[in-house]
Amino acid sequence: MAGGEETLAGRRDKLVALDVVASLVPSGSIVAIGGLSLNCAPMAFCRELVRAHVRDLELVAVVSGMASDWLIAGGCLRKLVMGLTSFEGFGLAPNFRRAAETGAVEVEEWSERTLICAFQAAAAGVPFMPTRTGLGTDMPALHPDRTWEMMDERSGQRFLACGALKPDVAVVHVHEADRLGNARVNPKLVWFDAEAVKAADTVIVTAERIVDTADFRAAPERTSYPGYVVDHVVEAPRGAWPTAAWPEYGYDGDFFREYQQAAREPERFAAFFEQHVGLAVPAGERTK
Amino acid sequence: MSANGYELDELVVAALARELPDDTTAFNGAVSFIPVCAFLLARATHAPNLVWAASSIAVDPRPPAIPESTLSDALWEGAAMLHNSAQDFWPYAECGRLNTFCFRGAQIDAYGNVNNTVIGDYAAPKIRLPGGGGMADLGCVVPRIYLWSTTHDTRTFVERLDFRSGLGYGDGPGFRESLGLEGGPRVCVTNLCVMDFHPESKRMRLRNVHPGVRVEQVVEATGFELLVEGEVPETPPPTHEEVELIRQLDPAGARRREFQ
Repeated sequence: MAGGEETLAGRRDKLVALDVVASLVPSGSIVAIGGLSLNCAPMAFCRELVRAHVRDLELVAVVSGMASDWLIAGGCLRKLVMGLTSFEGFGLAPNFRRAAETGAVEVEEWSERTLICAFQAAAAGVPFMPTRTGLGTDMPALHPDRTWEMMDERSGQRFLACGALKPDVAVVHVHEADRLGNARVNPKLVWFDAEAVKAADTVIVTAERIVDTADFRAAPERTSYPGYVVDHVVEAPRGAWPTAAWPEYGYDGDFFREYQQAAREPERFAAFFEQHVGLAVPAGERTK
Repeated sequence: MSANGYELDELVVAALARELPDDTTAFNGAVSFIPVCAFLLARATHAPNLVWAASSIAVDPRPPAIPESTLSDALWEGAAMLHNSAQDFWPYAECGRLNTFCFRGAQIDAYGNVNNTVIGDYAAPKIRLPGGGGMADLGCVVPRIYLWSTTHDTRTFVERLDFRSGLGYGDGPGFRESLGLEGGPRVCVTNLCVMDFHPESKRMRLRNVHPGVRVEQVVEATGFELLVEGEVPETPPPTHEEVELIRQLDPAGARRREFQ
């Protein structure tokens, strides 16, 4: 196998072009995206959603910043399900903050562990996953139909039930993928992403580069996601920018600072956003 | 450089670091410059066995500096292991092997509950904050929670939170026990003082005032009734060695981002 390029030999080629990826995400879908704050968010994918004017999405982003802010600025979201949304040392996410304060986007706050539990329940095919986390806080009451307190009759222990959360689509960014869907993050660091991948109906992987299947066969212990769980593969070099795809490139701090500067004035921001992300959205076209 | 040979940020870092015992196994979340500095300082001084998982991901790293994000890979250099997924990480926190986490909040109440979600009504907030992230989780399961704040005033230290993002002692004595939860917040280190929690009432109690700060000044800057018992000793200032170490461990001064 070594050295020779493996042919598909009748197997389905999962590679699709970046500019058609938005067509895989119908308006109104529940979309989970990977990434951890300034790290490895599928930003090229988010840009495509903005450019295609996808609407009414319910985005599930456990710890995000720029990705959620782009999708809100682009008018793509009806609802954001999240644990944390910020630019960290670069400040609050400006469009997220404004949309939450004006009510333009519904913000449903969970927490990191409870969202992971909800993904795990969906993957396991059970109605809820129990956890001690979240107890005694105001968070569960924000969505009592999705998180509720229970008592285990045998042990007498109280716990929070996290209802199964099944995204229609999960999108994660990786360093390498092949046409069969095998995908890897170098080094293997998949944080919240892996649980979203297991829970979702459809999985899209955006990759810094497409490599031959032989590369995966040469080091199978380094594969992060098996090809059978990945439905579509997209080549997206620097596809995490301006977040990092560690260790190949870091986050673009200058971009975060410029974005914050621009966000102080609506007109300036519209021009900045159009230049870097996609076509500006007329105010009237925003979601209801 | 202040006349004393140290800055306020260095005093706060040193005060938090001294609270951390040698068996600390800590991890950190977003925008946690003061705790990260304190973990590094404690490890370099009285707590050589302290283990810190940077960003909850990188176990026992040796970063040359602290960057703009405490979730940044720049903190992971020299790590002995990466927790490679949330599922890999969480059970270590839930079983208590990772025993220490630090919270700051836009609002903090007398029982050490914290709010990082909204100011005002949740559905129509005056200010939408970043969100609790892991606060709602970690306040329940991590046995040792340390609070810190660089804005000790009546807007931060309030009688009633607008939203309880993270659990401290809840509504007071017995609250955690009623949920089957152990532990709870140990101290709160601020730009004015160090507070602990009364063992029975679980309310915040003034333990030390920083050099130059008066007790009445702290009481006035606190929006809830702060317990004051007898003479309140001064917070010991950082030693020359501690100050030098802090400046080596955080050469870019990331800790000062919390004082802007």
